[in-house]
Amino acid sequence: MASPAAVNCSGAARRILLLPTTTTQPATRSFPGRLSAVTSRPITTLPSTPRTKSKSTPKTQPPTTPPPQPLQTRRTYHSTTHPPPPSPFTQAETTLLTSALTSHIPTHGFTLPSLTLAARDLSLLDISPSFLGPSPVARLIHFHLYTTRTTLPSLASQHSDLLSGLSVSGKIELLTWLRLKQNEPIIQHWQQALAVMAQPSQVPVAVRELAMLADEIYYLAGDKSVDPSWYTKRAALSGIYAAAELFMTTDKSEGFQETRRFLRRRLQEAEELGGAVRSVGEWVGFTASAGVNVLRSKGVRI
Amino acid sequence: MASPRRLLRTARQLTSIKTPLLTSQFPRHVSTTPSPPSPSPPSPPLPPKNLKPLTESQREMLSSFLRVNQAGELAATLIYTAQTPPILAREPHLRPLMKHMYDQEADHLRVFNSLIAKHRVRPTALYPLWSVLATGLGWSTAVMGKEAAMACTEAVETEIGGHYNAQIRELLKMVSEWEAEGYDVGEEFTELISTLRRIRDEELEHLDHAVEHDAQKAEPHWLLTGVIRAGCRGAIWVSERV
Repeated sequence: MASPAAVNCSGAARRILLLPTTTTQPATRSFPGRLSAVTSRPITTLPSTPRTKSKSTPKTQPPTTPPPQPLQTRRTYHSTTHPPPPSPFTQAETTLLTSALTSHIPTHGFTLPSLTLAARDLSLLDISPSFLGPSPVARLIHFHLYTTRTTLPSLASQHSDLLSGLSVSGKIELLTWLRLKQNEPIIQHWQQALAVMAQPSQVPVAVRELAMLADEIYYLAGDKSVDPSWYTKRAALSGIYAAAELFMTTDKSEGFQETRRFLRRRLQEAEELGGAVRSVGEWVGFTASAGVNVLRSKGVRI
Repeated sequence: MASPRRLLRTARQLTSIKTPLLTSQFPRHVSTTPSPPSPSPPSPPLPPKNLKPLTESQREMLSSFLRVNQAGELAATLIYTAQTPPILAREPHLRPLMKHMYDQEADHLRVFNSLIAKHRVRPTALYPLWSVLATGLGWSTAVMGKEAAMACTEAVETEIGGHYNAQIRELLKMVSEWEAEGYDVGEEFTELISTLRRIRDEELEHLDHAVEHDAQKAEPHWLLTGVIRAGCRGAIWVSERV
């Protein structure tokens, strides 16, 4: 445990000289390794001679982070009374990423300099973002996706007067629009972020976040379907949301009204397609049961 | 409405007749039937409860429980739906029994549908497959005759009863661990356990009905029940995961 951390220290110390433009990071480190690195050593102190001091590192004051948690990204049983599961981001990560998101992303975009500046604001060392894992920028974008998704319920309750009068499809349109509007402060950098999340190593996180967002929107809209349409509805909304998000990055209209019209058109099309499929299914089912009943009325024993 | 004790006693009698049933499958476990006075200690309703956050594995377990139960009840309603017309064509006097069993299964399905929606559990992805297989099973056994249809009910309900019992045991274990650690047990779980107990008892009641209506006279009984029970176990195993 101590020696890999020490090796990483020397790597991080080397990177100080190269910051903020370096992108050569140990790609082999997995997320659990990153978490243990955060907890094993304070991120505010720089070990001067890492290799020789590696044995004494446990003596230093540990940072005030909770114990390492598994990266919780799967949506399972949602308890209505028990406390929610912990965030996949530790307290230290949340502080750093929130600072970067609110203060520096609008000017510097989803880049390493934003994270470095955020670390300086918190009087941390410039190397601190390297504790976010093999790709700090992707982690920052994931944090944006996570926070916007988890603040959607409170956003929905703020607009409960608008939502209450709507049908389920109307609620879905409004909730999707509310979520899109959350991208407004960082919209000029969002194309860049989407490009990062489209990298093969980030696709699983991005797809999972998208699926959970679609599920969140359907839950908040009060949809109660528990048959195969559970899957088709969420898949359709995921596709529509991703398309609308991309559309929004090039939308120059006042208040992104073009994006909203785009979103409405796509949802309308999905609804029409779903209605057509449902009608065909109903017709087939009705004809089949009518045919069976005709045969039964003729005395066939089926 | 028969009491759970009588049902379990009947199940034990069945064990001695032919098929290994619930009690012989789980000989070492404690009973999941509550003792007569009260199923859980009466908890004060108003003060804020000290509830323990569910762990990842517990949430996984609960998800798979609700998913497999919904799939099972869906299959049960479809089996009875498909069985009813061919059986009633031959034995019209069975109409009240078939309706009673169907109504109970439809109620169970409604319960699990609402639980799945409430707790945001993903429904089984093989929903269409289970629908087709269950309809096919119900219809084909009904065409083979009343005895075969009842043997199908007997086999399915035997597996389902044991399956619910295993779930109740897991939940009781989880709840008693919370109690041992000094946490409260919310209504969410006391209600879930009592719902599962009620449904298990009703499924065992169907088992009684099936045996009373000549399920054991089906030819060949051992083959029918053996195949159907193996199929049930396989379906349960898959539904818990997919």
